[in-house]
Amino acid sequence: MGLFTELKDSISRATDRLFSEQEPKRIGIYGPPNAGKTTLANRIARDWTGDAVGAESHVPHETRRARRKENVEIERDGKTVTIDIVDTPGVTTKVDYEEFTDDMDEEDAIRRSREATEGVAEAMHWLREDVDGVIYVLDSAEDPITQVNTMLIGIIESRDLPVLIFANKTDLDDSSVKRIEDAFPQHKTVPLSAKEGDNMDEVYDNIAEYFG
Amino acid sequence: MPHQCTNCGRQFADGSKEMLSGCPDCGGNKFQFAPTTTAATDSSAPTEAETDGSGAVDAGSSPDSSDTESPDGVATRAAETVRNLMSAGSADDAESDGADHRRPADTEPTADTEPTADDGSWPSSGAAETDGSEPATGNDAGSAGEFDEWPETARRPADRSDPPADRTVDDTDRADQSSDGSSRPTEGPTTTYADDENTAQADARSEVVPTDELPAHEGDEPRLETESGDESHPGTDATGDSSPVTDAADAPPDHGRVVQEPSGQRPSIEELRAELNEQFESIKIVRPGQYELNLMELYNREEYIISLQEDGRYVIDVPDSWRDADDE
Repeated sequence: MGLFTELKDSISRATDRLFSEQEPKRIGIYGPPNAGKTTLANRIARDWTGDAVGAESHVPHETRRARRKENVEIERDGKTVTIDIVDTPGVTTKVDYEEFTDDMDEEDAIRRSREATEGVAEAMHWLREDVDGVIYVLDSAEDPITQVNTMLIGIIESRDLPVLIFANKTDLDDSSVKRIEDAFPQHKTVPLSAKEGDNMDEVYDNIAEYFG
Repeated sequence: MPHQCTNCGRQFADGSKEMLSGCPDCGGNKFQFAPTTTAATDSSAPTEAETDGSGAVDAGSSPDSSDTESPDGVATRAAETVRNLMSAGSADDAESDGADHRRPADTEPTADTEPTADDGSWPSSGAAETDGSEPATGNDAGSAGEFDEWPETARRPADRSDPPADRTVDDTDRADQSSDGSSRPTEGPTTTYADDENTAQADARSEVVPTDELPAHEGDEPRLETESGDESHPGTDATGDSSPVTDAADAPPDHGRVVQEPSGQRPSIEELRAELNEQFESIKIVRPGQYELNLMELYNREEYIISLQEDGRYVIDVPDSWRDADDE
């Protein structure tokens, strides 16, 4: 009996390890356009893998296809948490090429608009099919109570996905973390500046805790 | 025929669901949006054409246009909607979404409906049955015999409180109203029922209320019936398309069938239409470079649009091809 139990334990340990190694949790970085999702994804990827995920831009909808950075190993308190980071296009209910015409000609703006729309569709599809947890990134200098935010967080809650809200851009003068905390009191809000790298320790602590 | 398969040229009506699983003729998954008359006009026209009912849907449920403007109300409603949807499933969604719109519309028909039942002036007894069935949620009981009893049930809430004698009078009035019916809607809550019942009548041709439920309705307050009716039927009214209803009347059996398939539960032409419209409202092309997105629809549907192309062409990634792509 003892031998059998021991054998069983060792198999189950091996299986656990196998699964945890094969299938790191896929964490989707969601949020409205220009909240700093890609900046955050790049910050995390650079901190733990040395690579970047994608290009950043002040022009909304720079990220128009979901991009994944796999096997990001985050070390916390001697433990390692392995996740796949999925940087998604900013989610919105309206895309208008005229938003971009200051930065590019009309043809490019229209193409960007079309690709951004496809990107939103893709992001929503990922949310439905392929995400194990969500980091919801908000620009803390903007009003967090919007239809998009409420709806997306509602969807995430309905799926019982673990979610962290990141109040990004705390380096801005208009930043108000409290406004975000008040808007979504049911979720943990972590302040940070992905651009400046402020408060990243707390960010990683929470990632390890929520998604580890 | 706003949608056309770019492979074999097969056309699909606005709101058609066939194409969602690929072209039934050639299996292609690339379609072209080609608004007919409206197309020429540009943004506003296509939108209307596409939406029709969906426009109403949007307002009620959603995301599309309203957006950031009134955060509180909209956000709250959206959150509720989301939760409802998530927990209840798509069928429920349609109901909840439509509910707002429909109510107003429902009101209109009331006058007409009731008359129908009582007077028997309406063409088919089936219609009367239908009315009952709607509230009941559309079960198949198929009993013509119960017709006679129906009328009372159908009566307006106001009438019900009155003694039977009054009813006769009402009936006459109703007959008059029936002709006016359409204009009446605004009058009052009582009136509201009329539309539902009318719709119900249309549905009734294909469906019958279970015998068991009839008595209950009669005895109870008419309103309850109406309310239940609202959820399932309202879509029609809400949709704002009187035409569908009319069509239904013309060719009753077909419509009933179609409606049932999608929802699988409560058949209602309006409901079906609303559902279809909703599905096609996942991305609204206002004009090239300008899009409105229905996030809930994008999230809910298994297939999704992976490529928007010039001139209204787009590619739908249907579930099968999605899995292939996924493997890659």
